[in-house]
Amino acid sequence: MMLKRARSCLRFAATSLLLLAVATLIGAAEPYKAPRTSWGDPLIEGVYTNNTNVPFERSANLGDKAFYTEQEYAARKNAPAVVETTTNPTDVHYQTADFDLDPEQNPMVRNLRTSILTQPANGRMPPLRADAQRRSDAARAAQQAHAFDSAQNRPLQERCLLWAHEGPPLRPVGYNTLVQLAQTRGYVVLMTEMIHDARVIPLAKSRPDFGGLKRWQGNSWGHWEGDTLVIETTGFSDRVTPRGSGVPMGPEGKVIEKITRTGPKSIRYEFIVSDPSLWDVPWGGEFPMELTDQPLFEYACHEGNYGLPNTLRGVRKEEQTRQQKAR
Amino acid sequence: MSHHFKPLLPVLLLATGLALAGVPAFAHHSFSAEFDINKPIELRGKVIKVELINPHSWIHIEVTGKNGIKETWMVEGGSPNALFRHGITKNSIPLGAELVVIGYQARDGANRAVGRTLKLANGQSLFFYPSPLPSGVR
Repeated sequence: MMLKRARSCLRFAATSLLLLAVATLIGAAEPYKAPRTSWGDPLIEGVYTNNTNVPFERSANLGDKAFYTEQEYAARKNAPAVVETTTNPTDVHYQTADFDLDPEQNPMVRNLRTSILTQPANGRMPPLRADAQRRSDAARAAQQAHAFDSAQNRPLQERCLLWAHEGPPLRPVGYNTLVQLAQTRGYVVLMTEMIHDARVIPLAKSRPDFGGLKRWQGNSWGHWEGDTLVIETTGFSDRVTPRGSGVPMGPEGKVIEKITRTGPKSIRYEFIVSDPSLWDVPWGGEFPMELTDQPLFEYACHEGNYGLPNTLRGVRKEEQTRQQKAR
Repeated sequence: MSHHFKPLLPVLLLATGLALAGVPAFAHHSFSAEFDINKPIELRGKVIKVELINPHSWIHIEVTGKNGIKETWMVEGGSPNALFRHGITKNSIPLGAELVVIGYQARDGANRAVGRTLKLANGQSLFFYPSPLPSGVR
């Protein structure tokens, strides 16, 4: 009798433990339920930072390794927020380690990923199509031949017109990393501090009539899929070239972005870029952003842009010197 | 994090370092477009004007040459947005403070430079704080 009772107790305990484990697993898998705006949309408003030292593309030696281990992450947590590399060996500008700076002054949003790019699986940009590569090479050669002829020939960001990280797709940037999301009934606004670009995104199931207004970065519209804001952007200007391409998007070029609140102070930003005129496969990725208590500041880039005339002055002076030597 | 920065010691926080935390491709302009890596310079002078403007701040210093002639130099520094987040305003960079600048001169040979390091005359390094803290991190 005692033995039977003991077995029964053991069975009960085992069943309880099993049920507890299942409940825990279900609880862990359940996505965060975002609070709602007064009109019922998921609430994503706030000022976020996306500061990271995760590179946009994965180091080739990491292959398909998508995540660092906790130990690897801890070892590199103070690595500088270098998310891009330069091919110009004289570009010694903006290298944190050169300036007696403590990397701990630059806290990162936790992210175990080894690259922002997650698609393709190797975390690296897919090659351009052969015809696009030829156009890209020709465009670069033409640009370089006249790179310093006038202010209009300088890159858009040197002219304070548009910075590449503003997107779409949005990309982490090494400083002034703030992004503000604002919501009204029927619209979401995505604003980057640098360089003060506000993207007003109407909420609609299909592409709305933008009344002939064409943004350089394309026209965006969005809709909610559950707690995720899905933003579609098409109609990119030929003044804007996607990352590393050197040539603009074609008429079928498209960016899909997804913003999902993942916790009381965090959101996940995902993106997919496709254009059959440039790549055979789409590419995309994701990164987390965290709420910050700090406000967005004005970033009046153009007004204080001494760098642009200084650059042109330097080149004119060098031309003058060469001409004098040639005489 | 705050132990790196003491708001009550503004003189130590001139923070015009160029440390814009990497990202050359996202930098406003490339170094080589505006400055000459073959023209390294070291300057020591007094602050006479501070421009906390985007995309780069500019500190004007008066340098006295060996011949006693005074020259004005402009030194490029970091984005004022990032400086401001650490409590650095114009008032934090007192006119008359002596700065030691190690950097590179402009390509046109003018009295303009980018400050690779900017230190106070006593050797104190200047810190820079490029990004805001996530909420709750102090």
